[in-house]
Amino acid sequence: MTNRRSGHVLLGINVLVLGYLPAAWKTPLLKKDSFVDPDYWSSLGKTAERGTLDALFLADGPLLGDPAYDANPIRLEPTVNWGQVAAATSRVGLVATASSTFNDPFELAERFLSWDHQTGGRAAWNVVTTRGVPAARNFGLPDIPFRDDRYERASEFVDVVRALWESAATSDDVHHHGEFFNVDGRLRVPPSKQGRPVIFQAGGSPQGRALAGRVAEGVFAAELTKNQAIEHYRLVKGFARDNGRSPDDIKILPGLLLSLGSTEEEARRRSDELHDAGPSSYSIGWLSQAIGYDASKLELDEPFPEDVLGPLKDPQSFLGSIGFRESIVAQIRKTNPTVREYLKQTRYTGSGHAGFVGTPEQLADHIEDWFHGGAIDGFNLQPDRLIDGLAVIVDELVPILRRRGLYRHEYETETLREHFRAASPTPPF
Amino acid sequence: MTTPYLALGLAGPHLVELTGNRALLSRWDALPVAFTVLGIDRVDGSAPAAVTLTSSAVGATLAGSTKYGRFLITTTPQRDHPYNIARRVASLAHLSGGRSGVLIGVRDAYAPEGPKEAPAWGGAGLGGGAPLNAQTAYDAARAVRALEQSWPHDSIVGDRDTGILVQSNRIVHVDIDNSFSIAGPLNAPEPATGASVIAWYAATAADTPPVSGDDPIELVLGAAGSVPVVELGKEPPAGGIEGIVLRAGVEQSVADLLDTAERWLADGFAPIEPGGSLRAALNLSAPAPLPSPARAAFPAPKPHVSL
Repeated sequence: MTNRRSGHVLLGINVLVLGYLPAAWKTPLLKKDSFVDPDYWSSLGKTAERGTLDALFLADGPLLGDPAYDANPIRLEPTVNWGQVAAATSRVGLVATASSTFNDPFELAERFLSWDHQTGGRAAWNVVTTRGVPAARNFGLPDIPFRDDRYERASEFVDVVRALWESAATSDDVHHHGEFFNVDGRLRVPPSKQGRPVIFQAGGSPQGRALAGRVAEGVFAAELTKNQAIEHYRLVKGFARDNGRSPDDIKILPGLLLSLGSTEEEARRRSDELHDAGPSSYSIGWLSQAIGYDASKLELDEPFPEDVLGPLKDPQSFLGSIGFRESIVAQIRKTNPTVREYLKQTRYTGSGHAGFVGTPEQLADHIEDWFHGGAIDGFNLQPDRLIDGLAVIVDELVPILRRRGLYRHEYETETLREHFRAASPTPPF
Repeated sequence: MTTPYLALGLAGPHLVELTGNRALLSRWDALPVAFTVLGIDRVDGSAPAAVTLTSSAVGATLAGSTKYGRFLITTTPQRDHPYNIARRVASLAHLSGGRSGVLIGVRDAYAPEGPKEAPAWGGAGLGGGAPLNAQTAYDAARAVRALEQSWPHDSIVGDRDTGILVQSNRIVHVDIDNSFSIAGPLNAPEPATGASVIAWYAATAADTPPVSGDDPIELVLGAAGSVPVVELGKEPPAGGIEGIVLRAGVEQSVADLLDTAERWLADGFAPIEPGGSLRAALNLSAPAPLPSPARAAFPAPKPHVSL
């Protein structure tokens, strides 16, 4: 049974550079170096504002994956990237990912508050702990710290950053002496229009969820099914309540990979064409990383062997995301596909994040169903290709949601924190 | 003898003032000065002012809200790592059309020092770090330059027939091992306008940069450099200089600074046409490429074949 919720959903766009599909760069709508073109980035911001969207997100990590066939591994530094976009926009929120492992909390606190000040209070920090040896080697470390250590550090890192943001308002020095950091000093940056940046958290591990419950105001989740999403929604909101916070103080926005068309057939054709134009080795490489097993060694026409789906043998050294892995394993167990079938299915159902292929009307139905079902506060939509996919969201999906009373017609609030607070309250759970 | 150019130096409070005022921004953008140092007080030995902003955040605003003005962001390795610095430097160059560069300082007036045994970058708590001295800052500058060059811009081919976006086998590791150990490569390509201009601040001869074979410093500001800094209200030094940085004190306003700059430009300083890259405006040649052979970061991409 579903209770109707009042108020509106939150809509964010996860800007995976040119789009989540590797072949996004091949369209004649883009130049070969659009991923570093200021006009490309500011046009994304302006298009998002035309649809009164809540926020644009950027993933990040201090390392380079092979960009041979794909613009996705290319990373302009997010506070600079969104700082430039902020100057071309006035209302859309801007979420920048930054690592708590490969930064100094004093520098990050000063930079993020400065950037928040410059955006007029539209900034958020998405806290990640960063995986992967290549990142470690850019910082003189042979390998990344174990997961537990990364999260203990992240937790203290966030505390130092928040205390420093507070010092900007009070002018009182922070005196922090912890396990990882010793900081005596304060920021001299003016508080922003929203006081300080919003904090996001994106990991699905138990440690990540606990951190989210304590400090995050937004969670970028990775749930594949509605039931999983409801469970996660209640779990994280419950963590917030356990920490003496209101469940409304933390908004849950799962990612949703999208291919949209004016008919379902057209959407599938678009998705197929974009997939076929990309390298086939990608899906196998992606699956290997996500499940912690070399998928090129699997028989393509056999189901997944049990030892691949069982518990991780060594979670501490697993380089993938535990939340993604759980979602994928649950999905495979549900239908027991062959490896080839699974790789083909993920074209339509997503890879790690849930996927959606269909019409804007069908997407509105999906959003409405999950919203009223108490599974989400909103979605972080991830178009296959942004240069033409974002406009479909803004000009076709958003008007449908508005007609259904699920989305605002004009911006009614100015800062990102105000956008969040104006969204629908948490249903009883 | 060539006529010296004029550049501007802004302290913390001016960064807040300039970026919060559209009229000032337009006036700044139209001024034919060589460049503006964003937050010179962070690195020139000044006491911290009441307010400031991180220089790269101001640079990002200028990249998006102005078209012509050139600028140097200021940074130090005191609480920051060269990989992170290089990312912001390269990103600003892309997004400003090459109007940006970086002034790397030894100490950060607005930040506490890290732990005694490693006051530069040691505060990050990762077990690394270095002394807070000119050698560390210089090593950071070398790393920023190498990282910006680790991914050649012309490797971006966007060949729709072969499916190859980037000839990624031309991207190299930097394998730096000095005050910092950095494998690289950087995760953004070299700016289309080339690697960013790297400047240094030297009030006295003791502050001049160390020298190495691959010297990344192209511009030395301050009394011991080729571009002295003159406080607003004082007269410019006579002759024999490349340019000057006219620097406002914290009690003076951006409007005061722009008034004087306009007067001096009308009275003997060489105007430098607004717009275009900082490197071109300063007539600096492209830096030497990374020494080869360097370790390739990725295998040569093969043309993509559909299944």
